[in-house]
Amino acid sequence: MNGRSRAKKKDAAIGIRSPYSAMHTGPGRALTAVYAIFALSATARAGYQVIREFDVAPIAYSLSVIAAVIYILATICLVIGNRTSHRIAIASCVIEFVGVIVVGILSFTHPEDFAKPSVWSSFGIGYGFIPLILPLIGLWWLARVDKRVRRG
Amino acid sequence: MFTVFTFVLYAVSAVLSVWSIVETIRNRPAGRLLLGVTALLLLLLIAQLIVSIAAFGSSENVDPLLFFGYVLTAILVVGLAGFWAFAELSRWGPGVLAAGGLTVIVMIERMDQIWQ
Repeated sequence: MNGRSRAKKKDAAIGIRSPYSAMHTGPGRALTAVYAIFALSATARAGYQVIREFDVAPIAYSLSVIAAVIYILATICLVIGNRTSHRIAIASCVIEFVGVIVVGILSFTHPEDFAKPSVWSSFGIGYGFIPLILPLIGLWWLARVDKRVRRG
Repeated sequence: MFTVFTFVLYAVSAVLSVWSIVETIRNRPAGRLLLGVTALLLLLLIAQLIVSIAAFGSSENVDPLLFFGYVLTAILVVGLAGFWAFAELSRWGPGVLAAGGLTVIVMIERMDQIWQ
């Protein structure tokens, strides 16, 4: 029996409360809170940018909206805390990290498309590089939770 | 914004953040006093909202959507973090408050910039 089916059996045995709910307990609480703050502030900022000045930097602002959606997705997944949401949370952390790197590079090579700041431009410098570090902490934490669940 | 009041806002959110970090390190849940400081910050932010609505006519070139977006988001962050810390009986209650407090410091700075 591989780790996956063993964990699945455990999910069923425990019933409502998945062992993956450890995602939002202990240090995971602080992580969930930081994600929630990012979801909130990125959404507020993206909403403002789209309403008031979308024409100024459509690419940067579209990316702001995508970033906001990813942060909301990650927050919801951390809160739900089951197997599926664990997977989706990993995926959203990876997308976030790739997004920060790609947008960070693009904002140096194509500054004309990123005239206005967004969450991910210049590797998240406007947000104290937290957007760059957060997905790494997220992935580390999710891997730790997964390891603990598999070990049982 | 309103210099003295802005200073008070900075001070209270700084106290909240530092104290919350200390309590997280000391492995303690949020006590009544710490929650009191959170409530104080929430009230001060609501006062800021009311005062800025009242004084909005006298400000120049302030985008209301941008400014009040920040004020309302800050109120939301402090309120939710406070509620969470109240329900959470571990060291991560103050942990959440610290994250919220540090965010609010940055948001107060932005509000101040926008108002000028």
